[in-house]
Amino acid sequence: MKNTMWRTGLVVALVSLLAFAVVGCSTSAEEPAQTESQEITVMLPEWGVPTDAMLQEFQDESGVKANVEVVAWDDIRNKISVAAAGGQAAADVVEVDWSWVGEFNNADWLEPLTVTSEDTADIPSISSFTVDGKVLGIPYANDFRVGYYNTDIYGKAGLTEPITFAEAKDQSAAIKQKGLLQYPSTMPLTAGEGTTTGLLWLTFLRDGKVFNDDNTLSKDNVLTSLRYMDSLVKDGLINPANITQKDIDTYRQLSSGEAAFMVGPTYFVGLVENPDESKVVGQIKTIVPPGGDSKAKQTMSLTEGVGILKASENKEAAQKFVDWYTSAATQKQLYTDVDILPTRTSVLTELVNSGQIKNADALIETAKLIKSPFPNGVPAYYSEMSPAIYNAINQMASGSLTPEQAFDEMNAKVTELAKSASQ
Amino acid sequence: MPPDAYRESHVKKVERTGYLLLAPAALVMSALVLYPIVFTFVYSLQDYRLIYPDKRAFVGLENYARVLADPMFWNAFANTLLVTVIVLLLGLTSSLVVASILSVPTRFNGLLTAVAIIPWALPPVVNGLLWKFVFYPGYGLLNKLLIGAGVVEGPIQWFGGRLGTLLVIALVVAWRLAPFGAIVLLASMQSIPRDVYEAATTDGASRLQAFWDITRPLLAPSIAVVASYLVVNSLFTFDEVIALVGNRALTSTLALYNYNQAFTFLNLGTGGATAYLVMLGTGIAGFAYVRSMVGKAG
Amino acid sequence: MRTRLLWRGIYLAAVVIFLLFTLGPVLWCLIISITPEAEMFRSGVGLIPAHATLENYARLLGMNSRESTNFMEALSNSLITAGATILIGLPIAVAAGYALARVKVRGGRILLIAMLLTMPVPILATIIPLYALYATIGLLDNHFALAAVYVSSTLPLVTLIITNHFRSFPDEIEQAALMDGAGRVRLFFDVVLPVSYPIVLSAALVMFLWAWGQYMIPLILASSRATKPLSVMVAEFSSKEFFLYGMTAAAGILAMLAPAVFAVVFRRYLISGLTEGGVE
Repeated sequence: MKNTMWRTGLVVALVSLLAFAVVGCSTSAEEPAQTESQEITVMLPEWGVPTDAMLQEFQDESGVKANVEVVAWDDIRNKISVAAAGGQAAADVVEVDWSWVGEFNNADWLEPLTVTSEDTADIPSISSFTVDGKVLGIPYANDFRVGYYNTDIYGKAGLTEPITFAEAKDQSAAIKQKGLLQYPSTMPLTAGEGTTTGLLWLTFLRDGKVFNDDNTLSKDNVLTSLRYMDSLVKDGLINPANITQKDIDTYRQLSSGEAAFMVGPTYFVGLVENPDESKVVGQIKTIVPPGGDSKAKQTMSLTEGVGILKASENKEAAQKFVDWYTSAATQKQLYTDVDILPTRTSVLTELVNSGQIKNADALIETAKLIKSPFPNGVPAYYSEMSPAIYNAINQMASGSLTPEQAFDEMNAKVTELAKSASQ
Repeated sequence: MPPDAYRESHVKKVERTGYLLLAPAALVMSALVLYPIVFTFVYSLQDYRLIYPDKRAFVGLENYARVLADPMFWNAFANTLLVTVIVLLLGLTSSLVVASILSVPTRFNGLLTAVAIIPWALPPVVNGLLWKFVFYPGYGLLNKLLIGAGVVEGPIQWFGGRLGTLLVIALVVAWRLAPFGAIVLLASMQSIPRDVYEAATTDGASRLQAFWDITRPLLAPSIAVVASYLVVNSLFTFDEVIALVGNRALTSTLALYNYNQAFTFLNLGTGGATAYLVMLGTGIAGFAYVRSMVGKAG
Repeated sequence: MRTRLLWRGIYLAAVVIFLLFTLGPVLWCLIISITPEAEMFRSGVGLIPAHATLENYARLLGMNSRESTNFMEALSNSLITAGATILIGLPIAVAAGYALARVKVRGGRILLIAMLLTMPVPILATIIPLYALYATIGLLDNHFALAAVYVSSTLPLVTLIITNHFRSFPDEIEQAALMDGAGRVRLFFDVVLPVSYPIVLSAALVMFLWAWGQYMIPLILASSRATKPLSVMVAEFSSKEFFLYGMTAAAGILAMLAPAVFAVVFRRYLISGLTEGGVE
């Protein structure tokens, strides 16, 4: 009796020990000696991943093995911040979106990179990743706002390329009136990041100024944009489904032939020509986006870059990767193999000249207009500011706020954030 | 050894065995649940914003006050409450109906049970996506069916209003949670001896009455278990909301609010405080849960 | 006779509604997964695509694409982690359940209550410190360490079900066996466990299904390619300004296959198990 009791205990203890031993063993087995250090982790979203052949080439060239960890874009920031809160590096090289630069800089998570002056000249959007003279990331995927319109529908309606936003709206009204399309215009109105950037680029393209020098909203300009968006909804020129649809799906109304005009991401240049994804192949013309009283004089870039985490223990190897990944040769190959639009003007020009990027005169022209809408760089509180902006717009589009109320609501939050940050 | 002393030492040995058997569970729970929540409590008392690393300091209950003063918190609270109530009603009803269907012995019973389990097997992320395709404005399944049948002319904006959206969210969450309830209730029903029914029906009692008089009281404890399961799980509604309408303030839930504080705004102070407030709230629901469950464990 | 027919009608109607409601969304997801993107974004009433394509499945299951390698890896990660959850969790739950039901221990009841009270603890309240803990002791990106976290979340419910089962287990059988001179350990393995397999298996199913659906925990603790589960991979086809609906739907359909098979196989045990487990 006595013995059996002990044995019971022993068995259980053994079982649990076993369980923990398994855990322990697998740890030591799965973690090879890290001191070799010529192995790095690179955290990228799905579309930024180079082909295996390219990675192999990089390894042969540099002796650095890059293990790419694919993480959904939204989650990359979560991973980086949770790891940083625990004093760790989520990876050696990480994706850095333009909108994260301010907060990552404040939190001191990124290692300043060494960049040659040629690189800086060749990659204009590097300016969005530069804070106080420190380059915190190098843009690898180009994206800025260009205009698109459907030549077929515009032709039927007897219209020509829009020069100003006011004109674009009148054209949409005409197309609707002629019964050519139900919702000729499209832009994001959902509670999501795309809607915030929507307000930013609309204001920036038209007026060139979104924020005052103290980072508060420029009231007249922003309010004009809000009224413009509101009237698009009220006049039935924009699909009310956009209030809850993902921003990508609002843009896709152009490629499905349901909208005739939009200002949108650059990758639609290629998408609209791809018969697997587009119903309007050959009908869409890419244009320099409209502006206030003439064509836009500046456009906003929404580039994505790569950076190196401060907590990384393999910074040298990581820098080798960043240099390779953003080099002209790699960018060219990334475009042909995985459709990433280059950030280097030289590569972009080369691809356009060789006919690899079609439909692109406006693309190069617009790329030269890239500027930052933030007078003091992307603010550290951008991630808290953005929901306040998109929620106000979303509520306005749903009809529960007037443009003035929507402005007051977002302005209160933006002003509060700007004030508390400057303290 | 006198019997009493033997008894005493025996009891002690038994106790020691008992502790040994419980040790692994206690160890896992304290290392992986207790330890982290203590840390989170400490965070909740600090000004701990990742983007202002220099300002980290002890601030007492300030974060709690801040969260409680935030109208968006109360908005999320009201939404969560509404979703929970609807999930409870929908989930219980459908669990009961499905369990009743499955308790009828037919040839297809096995197949039907397998079908009933499918929603349970879905990761919430996939569940949200699935229903997004159903309710999508324009080309969603429901709009296509309704337009095709001539019920409506244009696509319905399911997520136009706050109430409508919350209703859809609750429906989707209930859909995922109901299978667990159905299986639990089915198991309960099957444990009711058949002769009790037969006696009742030969007595001339109608089936509905038999259900009301016999099945319902016997099911009561299981219903309590299912109800608490539904409540606790619907309080965490997150993935489905994100998939269906995104991070929309109007239809935000507590889990979403908490996520925004900690992950979007990178404020671990208010994030921790929100988590503790949610825990406090769920503690009340949890108390009923525990009582109904431990009641039987004695 | 009449009422009988009526009941039959009601039953059939209920079955049809139930099938439509349960399988409808899943079938729709299946249709989306074989619809080309260009056709998807058209309002119209057609449900079946004019040009159905299996390309999404080919990309996920084919031999040579990056997606298929990732998919297979994620599938095996999900299986390993869910398996490890059962491997670690089940013995712990059985031991605890047996002790709580059979060995009267002071504080046992309190432990059970405490465990049950952790059920409403949101993962957001534990994930950041957990990450720090795992990072310090090198347990990130480890199937078994990830499974241990899953165990800590399912343990309360599973322990309760098992405790209830052992409580309802007739004491006489055990006493009789003890009289025969069988040791307690032998008794447990020879007498108690064999008749308890339904409840043990259903506990395993609960753990498996729970582990399968997790998103946030593996995302933070184990998102490397070698450990990332299917649920996390499914979400990767959506990004900043990008959403591959067809791929996501196809991956979603494939992600529900394994647990569905598991559930079907253990259906019988699950039901009889819960009956005995005293959630009655």
